[in-house]
Amino acid sequence: MEEIERDVEAESVAEDSANEDRASGLIAGAAALALSACGAGGDGSPYGGGYSPPPPIPPTPIPPAPAPGPAPPPPRDAISSTEAEAVRFALQAQFSVSDADITALTSTGWLAWLKARYDEPVGETGVSWLNSQGTNAITIEKRYRAFQFGDYMIWNQLLAGPDQMRKRMALALSETFVVSLDSFTTVYPSYLIAAYWDVLTAHAFGNFRQLLEALTLNAGMGSFLNTKGNLRENTRGRQPDENFAREVMQLFTIGLYELNPDGTYKLDANSKPVETYTQEDVTNLARVFTGYDWDYLSNGGTSTPVTWERNPVPSTHLATNPMRFNSNYHSRIEVNFLGTKITSTTPGGDALHIALDHLFYHDNTGPFFARQMIQRLVTSNPTPAYVQRVATVFGNNGTGERGDLKAVWTAILTDEEARAMPTAADTLFGKMREPIVRFVQWARTAEVASDNGEYEIDDLSAPETMLGQSPLRSPSVFNFFRPGYVPPNTAIATAGKVAPEFQLHNETSTAGYINFMQRVTRNGIRDVKPSYTTLLPIAHDIPAVVDWLNLRLTANQLTSETLGVVRATLRTFGIKDSSSSGEKLDMLATACFLILISPDYLVQK
Amino acid sequence: MNLWTRRLVMHRAIQLSALGVATPLAINLAAIGEAAAFDATDYKALVCIFLYGGNDWANTVVPFDAANYAKYHEIRAGVAGEEESGIAIARADLADTALTPLDGAVLTDGLQYALAPQLVGLKRLFDAGRLGVQLNVGTLIQPTTLAQYQDSNRVTNPLPPKLFSHNDQQSVWQSDGSEGSTNGWGGRLGDIALASNSSNAQLTCISASSNAVFVAGRDALQYQISPNGAIRINALNGPLRNAVNNIVTRSSTHLLESECAEVTRRSIDLEGTVNTALGGVTMTTPFPSGNPLAKQMRVVARLIGANATLGVKRQVFFVSLGGFDTHNGLMSRHHRLMTWLDGAMHAFHVATIELGVASKVTTFTASDFGRTLSSNSDGSDHGWGSHHFVMGGAVKGGRFYGTAPHVSIETDDQVGQGRLLPTTAVDQFGATLAQWFGCTPSELPGILPNIGNFSNNNVGFL
Repeated sequence: MEEIERDVEAESVAEDSANEDRASGLIAGAAALALSACGAGGDGSPYGGGYSPPPPIPPTPIPPAPAPGPAPPPPRDAISSTEAEAVRFALQAQFSVSDADITALTSTGWLAWLKARYDEPVGETGVSWLNSQGTNAITIEKRYRAFQFGDYMIWNQLLAGPDQMRKRMALALSETFVVSLDSFTTVYPSYLIAAYWDVLTAHAFGNFRQLLEALTLNAGMGSFLNTKGNLRENTRGRQPDENFAREVMQLFTIGLYELNPDGTYKLDANSKPVETYTQEDVTNLARVFTGYDWDYLSNGGTSTPVTWERNPVPSTHLATNPMRFNSNYHSRIEVNFLGTKITSTTPGGDALHIALDHLFYHDNTGPFFARQMIQRLVTSNPTPAYVQRVATVFGNNGTGERGDLKAVWTAILTDEEARAMPTAADTLFGKMREPIVRFVQWARTAEVASDNGEYEIDDLSAPETMLGQSPLRSPSVFNFFRPGYVPPNTAIATAGKVAPEFQLHNETSTAGYINFMQRVTRNGIRDVKPSYTTLLPIAHDIPAVVDWLNLRLTANQLTSETLGVVRATLRTFGIKDSSSSGEKLDMLATACFLILISPDYLVQK
Repeated sequence: MNLWTRRLVMHRAIQLSALGVATPLAINLAAIGEAAAFDATDYKALVCIFLYGGNDWANTVVPFDAANYAKYHEIRAGVAGEEESGIAIARADLADTALTPLDGAVLTDGLQYALAPQLVGLKRLFDAGRLGVQLNVGTLIQPTTLAQYQDSNRVTNPLPPKLFSHNDQQSVWQSDGSEGSTNGWGGRLGDIALASNSSNAQLTCISASSNAVFVAGRDALQYQISPNGAIRINALNGPLRNAVNNIVTRSSTHLLESECAEVTRRSIDLEGTVNTALGGVTMTTPFPSGNPLAKQMRVVARLIGANATLGVKRQVFFVSLGGFDTHNGLMSRHHRLMTWLDGAMHAFHVATIELGVASKVTTFTASDFGRTLSSNSDGSDHGWGSHHFVMGGAVKGGRFYGTAPHVSIETDDQVGQGRLLPTTAVDQFGATLAQWFGCTPSELPGILPNIGNFSNNNVGFL
């Protein structure tokens, strides 16, 4: 698919020249580079027409940060009293659990274990891994146009490397702050998604405000929600694109309705929810996000003429550099949104700063974000009190910092509601494990390895034949499933509860998943194969195998019926210590398969 | 007991009887000759094609006469002219798909419309009287003027919740409620059809797309089918058969676990029935390959072809095509989407002719919302009302229904930037389809709750 790129415009500063709307080139960046090469910039900048230097340090007053919210009580801490409790904790925080995790949680306790996770260095980034695979090579093979390396990148990120809590949180963030690999239409789709993923992992243990700014200016997000190339209004009726302005409010920060501190709706005099913003707010805020485009050249970006493309091929910097600002294309109209005013002469960088601050400090943002993250990690239907406790920590981490994500994760995971062991009487606690999490948990537990280091696992989205979900492949900015999804005609609906992950669950996907897991538990996928290294030596000891898997896959949440069926089935394999490793692998794969398709596993409680 | 209640009681009784519960009530109701429309021997199906993302109406049904085209071009390209520019289609490219209404109707400002240049199959169906165009339909609670839209009193001038928001307007279109709604009007139509489909009532409401509230009823369940038919669980045919069956279908007191198992049980129970029935259908109509909508519509056509085998009299289907949120790259993206829409719809209609059910199947398009008429340089933004298609042998095609909006970003039939203020409500559009399906006027409010706020409950295209 060759799509003409909107690119740096050759617009003069004069209003509305006839050729304003776009300079086109087969490859983004080519036009800019051509202008640079022939010195047609006009303002002497290397960018061609209309480049403005970064705005100076704010001359306009940026409103001071409001006082932090009330200090929360210090986080709860305890030593997990059983291995099952330790595993249950670890599986809410990351994909899989190691013996070291169990030991630490049962000896040094929750906070020490979390601190060790937070202190782990960031593993190899997605961009760095793609570089190591040669995906940035500008050769006639055109890897720079291929999508599958984006899939290989994220599977490598999720399946390999020790820093899996960071990755788990980044995956959760990627389902609120959605960018989809599917959406890209230019060179380097794999780098665009990798650089976005790297923003999420870089800030997963950082601060919400910095995360919000970094993802706003990220090249992939710019492409996905159209901040890239977003032009100011003109006299011919052209309007700024409203996509990012709308979704940054609706999905990333404040949501649709005014919230109480516990995440429940505020109600007006007619007992109706109060809308947070109007179309006018969206139209106004959209002006803030005008004037941005990809930055091809900073930090050593280059462009390479090649014989097989009409235009020079830019380097990966277009994906890894934050978008740059050009004041010529920035709106010249005052912005009034959500009760704040940004004057028409405010420099673009300041306008962005003020707007993002305003969203960050909005009373909704804490409970809105807290509830979704609890849903991703612990339970679909948290109590309002649980949401409020986490939202309070979002407002103040205990030392006056708002938006400290480490404090938010700690609050979610150590909360009394997360830590209380589920009882038979509680028929709603927990969540359906989403397919990606099931697959990654199995793969890490089965100790998969790649025999060539390429992690050639493609898009697994197809529900009829594959996993039914693939990371960073959401069909839209509304994620694979919505936080408010109610499966119709179910006891869940009758109870007035939500079950987001069930949006992916239907007659086709359940059968497709079962078939998929049967294949991969034995054979893996392409170069990524299970080794079952720890289990192989005890494969003849069926009770030991089943106990080991029950603990590590489910925190001992399998019912006695399921355990009985699994043990009885495994006995039919007749595995002895002397059996071949192939026979043992057949049985171990079957053990995993049966557990991974059981409803007692599928619902993480 | 009114018809609505009696049908509800009756199909609930049939559901109970399927579970082995004695149901004298069902027999009594049947004995008094209830539910005449749906006990008829004929077959009817409704097919909803949902265009996810908000279809750009202005480049789907395009002003073509010189005067109105000039306004369209001025707004979408920013300059006068007739060449492709900005997000305006070249006028010459519209000549082959220009529409002349069969009834000679004169539209607002003397508008003549053309279809998007890719919609050549739909143009043929329009000319053959098999395709109608519903103009400016959208979500409304009651008839609403621009002044009422701008009024702050939402008690006297209620608006649909969360206009311009994708997920909410998808939900309002499909269900009359914002996100989190648990039943849609397709599903509610399915509710009153359950009793007529007693041998396979679970195949009343079917999605060949992902889960969609449109086909969930108060009682009717959505059944999901893949383009290749029902998916068989391979392990159920091997040595692990008993273990797998035991594990994946076992009930639980935990509501989430129980629902996991319930869906899997349904998947297993219906797989054989569905695939056997599909295997008996002979259908040779070619559907375009590489077209994500066509593969869904093909399996819907095959299921419709199996209606006698399955013993179903009324069905509601849901298919979808994504990618319509054309904030940028509108010209190239929309071109591809229109190509897919045209290929899939035309092939589907031909298939219904081959199957001898063309007049028994009515297909319509729907979408989150329309988009702005104005441009954001190479795309358009979220809007409200939009134009939609109705297709089938029963459709009074070759005509326009509803009121054509002015080509303007200033008139009072739009709320700014050419976001159309709907002049036909989704409830009126749906009520027209529902009555053809067999729903009585007294049943309409149970299916389309706002219909009583409109003086006209039938737009007339069926």
